Amino acid sequence: MASARTSTRQEDKSAYWAFSLPAFILYIFVFAFPIILSAVISLSNYKGGQMFGGEPWAITGFKQYSILFQDSAFWQALKNNIYIVLVSVFGQLPLGFVFAYLIYRKVVKFGEFWQGILYVPAIISVIVLGIMWKFIFAPNGLIADLINFGNTHKLVAALDAVFKSGSTLSDDGIRYILKSMDPSVVGMLGDNPVAGFKEQLLPGGSLSIADPVAFIGDMKNYAPKWTPEFMTKQNVAMIPIMFVTLWCWTGMYVILFNANMQKIDSEVIEAARIDGATEMQTARYIVLPALSGILINAAILCIAGSMNQFALIWAMTEGGPMNVTEVLSIYMYRTATIGQNYPLSNAIAMIIIVFSFILIGLTKLAEKRMGGKE
Amino acid sequence: MSTTAIDREKSFGTTPVGRAFAIFGKALAYAVMGLFSFMAVFPILWLIMNSFKSSSDYQLDKIGLPKEFFPINYQGAWQIGDFSILLPNSVFYTVVGTAGVVLLATLAGFAFAKLGGKAAKPMYGSFVIGIMLSLSSLMIPLFLQLSQMDLALGSLFVSMGLIKDSRAFHLFYNTRFGVILVYIGSGLPLAIYMITEYIRGIPTSLVEAARIDGASYWRIFARIILPMCVPIITTVSIITLPGIWNEFALINIIVGKLDLQSLPLGILRFSGSRSADYGKQFAALVIGLLPMLIFYMAFQKQITKGVSGGAVKG
Repeated sequence: MASARTSTRQEDKSAYWAFSLPAFILYIFVFAFPIILSAVISLSNYKGGQMFGGEPWAITGFKQYSILFQDSAFWQALKNNIYIVLVSVFGQLPLGFVFAYLIYRKVVKFGEFWQGILYVPAIISVIVLGIMWKFIFAPNGLIADLINFGNTHKLVAALDAVFKSGSTLSDDGIRYILKSMDPSVVGMLGDNPVAGFKEQLLPGGSLSIADPVAFIGDMKNYAPKWTPEFMTKQNVAMIPIMFVTLWCWTGMYVILFNANMQKIDSEVIEAARIDGATEMQTARYIVLPALSGILINAAILCIAGSMNQFALIWAMTEGGPMNVTEVLSIYMYRTATIGQNYPLSNAIAMIIIVFSFILIGLTKLAEKRMGGKE
Repeated sequence: MSTTAIDREKSFGTTPVGRAFAIFGKALAYAVMGLFSFMAVFPILWLIMNSFKSSSDYQLDKIGLPKEFFPINYQGAWQIGDFSILLPNSVFYTVVGTAGVVLLATLAGFAFAKLGGKAAKPMYGSFVIGIMLSLSSLMIPLFLQLSQMDLALGSLFVSMGLIKDSRAFHLFYNTRFGVILVYIGSGLPLAIYMITEYIRGIPTSLVEAARIDGASYWRIFARIILPMCVPIITTVSIITLPGIWNEFALINIIVGKLDLQSLPLGILRFSGSRSADYGKQFAALVIGLLPMLIFYMAFQKQITKGVSGGAVKG
């Protein structure tokens, strides 16, 4: 009897290992080994090449980290990562909560439809979406066209208004048209733009326009032209990236929050509403506290995701112009592939991991401070 | 909670002013919801529309409908973009990777939930921590590890006289096998968490009864656990699948050969090399987004369920 029991226990044990080891070994292979390897190489002078039996290399200490902390590109990348964390945690989550609440409380009808639409960007490759947004934000892209379309429309409207009272232009009419024209064109007309307009822009120099339609067509070229500098100007280059980050993943939190709101006892909410609580108050005093645990988890997911963002920015800007949109992972990639500086690159990898765990730890700490639920 | 605050503004919703506010609020809610939903899909619809324009048509007019319908963009993009290589590759990685994740995770989930010994807790815990780690921060060490293992194995085989050049030997780096290993490994943490929690909900008495009847654990797994896990396996597959299909950072560094590239890699390469060929570029992007869009339309309910279930733990 006793021997039978030990043999069963033996069988339990071997079954446990047989079932769990394949996954665990693979997990060690792709997570644990690289982390250890990264820590070792970040402390070494490894130059690439064969690691075992090739050119000798040795542990040289924390030199790479001190180089890193003095490198302005590192701080730039870290700052950009923090921007993305901030726009994710304080953008995606609140927006996601608001939309989820509107759907959950049926403030808007067809909630499932809206939720389905909002999630669409999250399912598509960020490479595809990144390239798409690059076209939209480009100096000659969709946004530029939309704005310039409006500008042209305004100028045409001004011309139409002037021609309504006849096909002969007056000085007042010209002044009115000049207001809707590109300022740089107006500047080229000289000190007296009205005179300049008469000299340079009138067909045949005559104030009475024979063919107003053709004239308006020509004048369209002088509408203000706006060239967006989102992707080329250094101090605004992060704006499109932050916008797309918000655009891409908010829908995920709508689904997450809405699903968890469904678990709240609806009688509590009905009772509060009967007692006269507004939707705002219901959201603030009933739904928000009930969701605090999920919000913390979502914040952690958000932070982990933001710290590792790579593909979207790579597709949109490759870190440019002049590395101003670089995040840590792109900086790490550039250091390894272009600079071939593996120790420094691995030091960055270690920083990313440590930094994300610090942020996650702070989030957990904030949760405890605020007494949120587990 | 804070009923005083509710009391204070209790009369708010019943006065005429309050009612006006409520109507205004509703209108605002619709406006905001409509605006954001429009924003979510408009760029994608715009992209699809422009994929039917010629490049010169696009340059002249980015807003209007195509003046001339140009479906030939797709033919060009398909040929130049090597989609006949990329698409089968993506399908292969996604199908094999997802199947591998689900299989290994179900096995391990059974072990963690029902067979747990002393080792179960720390092992399971390490997977849960892995949910917060993203492999993209480890792409450089992962690349070094895979390529160095190939070199080490290659030298070993050279010294054994099996092959001539250790640099030509590839098992992990620049191979389908390596990509699959990495993809399965990266999908495991979340999958194991979800499946283990699910199997915990299956009554242990079922397993015990089968044991008393003399069934082996393999039999119990195949006959009891696996059939009962079909719903969670579906959910996990459905959230793992788009992740692998869309993955870029890792495959970008562990694959160099065109023959092994996946869709996202190929699309980025295509976009970089023909930046002025707008018509074909847009067509290539549409080819890149359509499979997942169709997948989403087909499985929206399950995807929604998976998203809300997959993010419960931090």
